[in-house]
Amino acid sequence: MMHRLLLVVLLALASPLCMAAMTIEIVGGALNRIPVAILPFTLSAPGATDPAAVVSGDLGRSGYFRLVDAQGVVSPESPQGLSLPTWKSRGADAVLMGQALPAANGRIEVRFWLFDAVRQSQLAALSYTTTPAGLRGVAHRIADVVHEKLLGEPGSYSGRIAYILKRPGRYELQVADADSQNAITVASSPEPLISPAWSPDGSKLAYVSFEDKKPVVYVQHLADGGRRAVARFRGSNSAPAWFPDGRRLAVTLSKDETSQIYFLNPDTGELTRFSRGGALDTEPVFSPDGRWMYFTSDRGGSPQIYRAELPGGQVSRVTFEGAYNVSPALSPDGNNLAFVHRRNGKFHIAVMDLNTRQMQVLTDTALDESPSFASNGRMILYATLVNGRGVLATVSVDGAVRQRLSQSGDLREPAWGP
Amino acid sequence: MKSLISALVLAGLLAGCADTATVASIEDRAVPSKDAAKPSATSATTATTGSGTAAATAADAAKPAGKPTSIVETRPMVDPDTKVASLGASQGVAIGPDGKPLAAAGQAGTAGPDAAPVLDPKNPASPLAQRVLRFEYDSAAIRDEYRALLEAHAQYLKQQKAAKTILQGHADERGSREYNLALGQRRAESVYKALSLLGVADAQMEAVSFGEEKPVAEGHDEEAWQQNRRVEIVYEGE
Repeated sequence: MMHRLLLVVLLALASPLCMAAMTIEIVGGALNRIPVAILPFTLSAPGATDPAAVVSGDLGRSGYFRLVDAQGVVSPESPQGLSLPTWKSRGADAVLMGQALPAANGRIEVRFWLFDAVRQSQLAALSYTTTPAGLRGVAHRIADVVHEKLLGEPGSYSGRIAYILKRPGRYELQVADADSQNAITVASSPEPLISPAWSPDGSKLAYVSFEDKKPVVYVQHLADGGRRAVARFRGSNSAPAWFPDGRRLAVTLSKDETSQIYFLNPDTGELTRFSRGGALDTEPVFSPDGRWMYFTSDRGGSPQIYRAELPGGQVSRVTFEGAYNVSPALSPDGNNLAFVHRRNGKFHIAVMDLNTRQMQVLTDTALDESPSFASNGRMILYATLVNGRGVLATVSVDGAVRQRLSQSGDLREPAWGP
Repeated sequence: MKSLISALVLAGLLAGCADTATVASIEDRAVPSKDAAKPSATSATTATTGSGTAAATAADAAKPAGKPTSIVETRPMVDPDTKVASLGASQGVAIGPDGKPLAAAGQAGTAGPDAAPVLDPKNPASPLAQRVLRFEYDSAAIRDEYRALLEAHAQYLKQQKAAKTILQGHADERGSREYNLALGQRRAESVYKALSLLGVADAQMEAVSFGEEKPVAEGHDEEAWQQNRRVEIVYEGE
């Protein structure tokens, strides 16, 4: 495997960050970054912008790669014209080159090739056909391919995120590319919106809206913008979480006594109560296999994360360290739990290996919230407060790589989409 | 209330943005569209890996037939500003029927000792003008100082059986929004129980929470947090 070779080759290298991303500030980085040369794509299709810029941005700010300067390089007409030894001598262990060619109906064909400059071999050669507006999406997918070929695990550059943008007097639920570009407002309200939750197939968002002067759970179809209140009971309705099959939701309702968790079928309205007792239970979330539901409860005197074996089985406490552990989020493989942990009065993102129950605090900012895992399970997206303004940030599960998405505006409540 | 519901404007749609539409045509995780055929997964074709050339980049094997159906361009984006401008009350200040803010806690005592103890929530000189109870961190315990306030509201509600009150719980900004929502709910329920013990009928009250979403003080320090941990007593129609 290429990545093993690279790890050996790079063992002695601790490369400093060499690229300043325009929209994302990197706070930390992996010790050993793989040096990659990303050549400007040959653009012969009208209206094509260079996918290399987006790929460079994705890989450069990931913390896993170091970009070998390829500015102003004229890419060869074809891969046969590429001199891998030249790039090896410039410090590149891998080289990406590509073309954007005109295709039928105004579409664009994007071809790219990824080479191992050390072994002088080809690692990938792919072609995507898209429209000019789809080029960014293609570029993110190319970054995913490069990441996977060089690191042996999937990238997460082509995913989508949902979050809330707070404007003066207005709240917008937005969906954007994982690099926070291409943001689209899918719902806008003068009253707060919180807790967006992706359906497992990515077609719907459940969220909490205060438009009715109280929290009500809505489900919105992204394709047509159609939305419906699915939980509007007496009292507060909040904390929606989808079952892995996408057919039911867990919600927190206060209709019977203080905040308790219920299971709701939004299509039939069928409602079953999960938790009982005077303690406060909220923030349900399911393990991907549907076997466990994790949630926050203060039944032990302080807010801690518990889990219940489904259906309706035994509840056991998961977090013990500290007096405040909330907002559980599960990795796609179900092995890691991310949550908000209070230490010395500050709120940090922490992760627990559910097999060993070892906990690690990943961030050093003071008001972190809303962790969620990227589709590859390697990165955790969260919100934090910087200079009084909400920003989105990511941290790798080992804590080595941190980045801040600095889109303008006050952002909160991020959720990484499927 | 109904008008409020309908007033929320949905900017709708992953539609309205050309980029997403076309991404949909190449992404197998694309937003499904009711009227569009599901985009065929991807037109990527894997070529040889391992030997040097690119001869195998055959394009486009799975290109969707015809023009890519755009989920984006077919659905107009509704102007999100049109119907919502007059709603106000976005800073957590309760707005009275006359459009003026109801007395905030800081001014709650301004009725003065010589004010007649009229039980009229609309009268700023009334004891009912005191609407805000504050709480300790992570606590829903009602402080003794609010006994008179609660008794006044209880008395009014018992006299005016048609009157209804919404008890709005709030939390400070620290920690999880959802946990804070539950915490604000517990504070509201705490006031609910106190009023209930004073004889107010359940049908006249609803306890809801705004969590940390409606701070009255925007700062990020204990002084602001203290003000934000509160329950506001709001009468229906206000």
